[in-house]
Amino acid sequence: MRRALVIFVLVAVAIPLMLAMAELPRHGSPDAPPQTHVAPYYLEHGPEEAGAENVVTAVILNYRGFDTQGEVTVIFTAMAAVVAVLVAGGAGVPADRAAAPATTPVSLIVRFIVRVLAPFIVLFSVYVILNGHVTPGGGFQGGTILGALLIALTLIMSESDARALLPQRPQRLLQAAAPLTFFAVGMIGLLLTGDYLAYPHSGPTIWIATLMLTVVEIGIGIGGAMVVATIFRTMGADR
Amino acid sequence: MTPWPPLLALLIVVPLTGAVITPVVGRTRAVRSADWSLGVMLATSVIALVLVVQVARVGPFSYVVGGWVAPYGIELRFDEFGAVIAVICLLGTLAMVFSRRYAAQAMAEQRIPYYYALLLLNLTGMIGFAVTGDLFNLFVFMEILSLSGYALVAVSGEKIAEMAAFKYLVMGAISSLVILLAIGILYALTGSLNMADVTGRLAGAPAAPLAVAFGALTLGFMVKAAAFPLHIWLPDAHAIAPSPVSAILSGLVVKVGIIGMLRVYQIAYGSGAVDMRALNHVLMWLGALSIVMGAFFAVFQDDIKMMLAYSTISNIGYIIMGLGLASSYGMIGASVHVFNHAIIKATLFLGAGALIFQTGKRTLTDLAGVGHAMPWTVAAISVGAISIVGIPPTAGFVCKWYIALGAVQAGHPFFAFALVFGALFIFIYYIRMVNAFYFRQPRDPAILEVTEAPASMLVPVLILASLCLIMGVMGSLPLSFIEPAVQRLLLPLGGG
Repeated sequence: MRRALVIFVLVAVAIPLMLAMAELPRHGSPDAPPQTHVAPYYLEHGPEEAGAENVVTAVILNYRGFDTQGEVTVIFTAMAAVVAVLVAGGAGVPADRAAAPATTPVSLIVRFIVRVLAPFIVLFSVYVILNGHVTPGGGFQGGTILGALLIALTLIMSESDARALLPQRPQRLLQAAAPLTFFAVGMIGLLLTGDYLAYPHSGPTIWIATLMLTVVEIGIGIGGAMVVATIFRTMGADR
Repeated sequence: MTPWPPLLALLIVVPLTGAVITPVVGRTRAVRSADWSLGVMLATSVIALVLVVQVARVGPFSYVVGGWVAPYGIELRFDEFGAVIAVICLLGTLAMVFSRRYAAQAMAEQRIPYYYALLLLNLTGMIGFAVTGDLFNLFVFMEILSLSGYALVAVSGEKIAEMAAFKYLVMGAISSLVILLAIGILYALTGSLNMADVTGRLAGAPAAPLAVAFGALTLGFMVKAAAFPLHIWLPDAHAIAPSPVSAILSGLVVKVGIIGMLRVYQIAYGSGAVDMRALNHVLMWLGALSIVMGAFFAVFQDDIKMMLAYSTISNIGYIIMGLGLASSYGMIGASVHVFNHAIIKATLFLGAGALIFQTGKRTLTDLAGVGHAMPWTVAAISVGAISIVGIPPTAGFVCKWYIALGAVQAGHPFFAFALVFGALFIFIYYIRMVNAFYFRQPRDPAILEVTEAPASMLVPVLILASLCLIMGVMGSLPLSFIEPAVQRLLLPLGGG
């Protein structure tokens, strides 16, 4: 009975959705509105006026940079939510509910491999972050690589060493690195051009735009790595 | 004098940045994060005030972030509906003040800086949602306010709060996805995300995708607004959250669904490509159902915050019905009720929070007789109760009167009947509450020994209660303020 109901609801939802999809302009067709309206402008002018050869970067950090400022804040919000809900000392958390930290001993091979690879992973993440305005990649991707390394190191290290990976003092500042960098660069844009989050457009000062975009990428990278690592640590910590 | 154009962007980024710094400020002493977030809210309120005065003088204005032109950059658009930011700032500031004593009792100290950060993020998300002119930007701010909302419900750490937050999260995530799907369809049809641009380019779009897009937007926003059969996440979440959070969630966050619907109407009516009549009919019925069922469930609640939560469903019903009527009176009444209900419900939830804080009790049975021990708080709650029933000369009256007029104007007098019927129900349960506080024998005489709430709680409650009265006496001011926006909205329908 329940199964039949689920199938009925799914079919009832799917039919109008499929009918609607059938009437949409064909995806990827050169005549479809997404290909003829805003996007051609980005493709045509992005490389000269936005300070990034990679058009995707030009769109997410420059033309629609305000969205991305919101996005990094969503990521920060997710971390703040995890910390606020899980950090030790909730009124109703009984002691026996405390999750045991991973006690499985890590094999020598895993430890060795992570240690050997660590410097290369750092190098690669820095490359992805800094090269984001030229090639695919950027702060989000590079930051995730760095965050994954922090998690891998947490797994193979003793508790006290792992704690030192996320330095206590500047920790909270670094967690907010991405939105703070956006704000700082936005205000610099306001000073330079008179508009919030504006970069100098084209002309001989375009290198300033590229520099500002790079700073934003670094901020997103550091902030992203810290957020990923913090969420992992908070969820794994005994409470 | 025109204010500095980037001020509209600063309205969002000042509290946004203030929020992410809050945990840093509160690292060594949690109470500093309370001072900091209050300061941030005050600064934001000043900006909001300048902008609201501006829109009252010259009408809507825009600012495109990043020095680009719309639709290539992201446009922020401030119109009369956006003036809801004034209420967001007011309630946000008062909730910050109220939280000073309340948070210390309700949650562990390590959580307090993050609590304030999330509260600020929630308010900022709503501000951004109210003033953006871009569909994807709208979604981004909706996610900021939704995510922080889920966490704020769970922040006390009680098991039941976590359950309520999870239910809220599941429903909220589904509604967000449905809205995102609709935004995707609109982008595929127009190639643009700018609301004004989408409006201009929708003409001639195929009917089936349009119907799905507008249906999905309505469904998603109705879940956010907790219209009757989609309300199941609301009562627990609003009743169990810390009281200042309840005030924000019930007073403001459910209105996100309403503001979202107003934006949907602006696109639908403005483009002329969408026939909203069928959807409007659904909204009218949803509204009527919510009014009656919300009030019906509220009558049976003994938990005071649970009762207030069901009352929110009922009041949202009035607003949804007002929107669905698509007549100028109904629309004006609904828009103003967004403002007024926020103030009234915040009075009630903060007042209830003060009662619970002082007595440790939260049911009407246990709270009997508390009116003699905490006269000021209970007086403020009574003012709120009278307002929400809609007895003149309080803030609730004008809106409901306008919505009833709107029902007659739109040729649906039956819905005016549903409205009056709902008001009667609401009257019953608020009378029950006031009666318990003042006239019932206390179950436990110790309740008479309780002292009045501390100033940091009492003052916000009293300010809100006096606003309930002031908004009632000056009821025509918000009506005439919102009228041009409604006339503009209904213009394509032939003036409503």
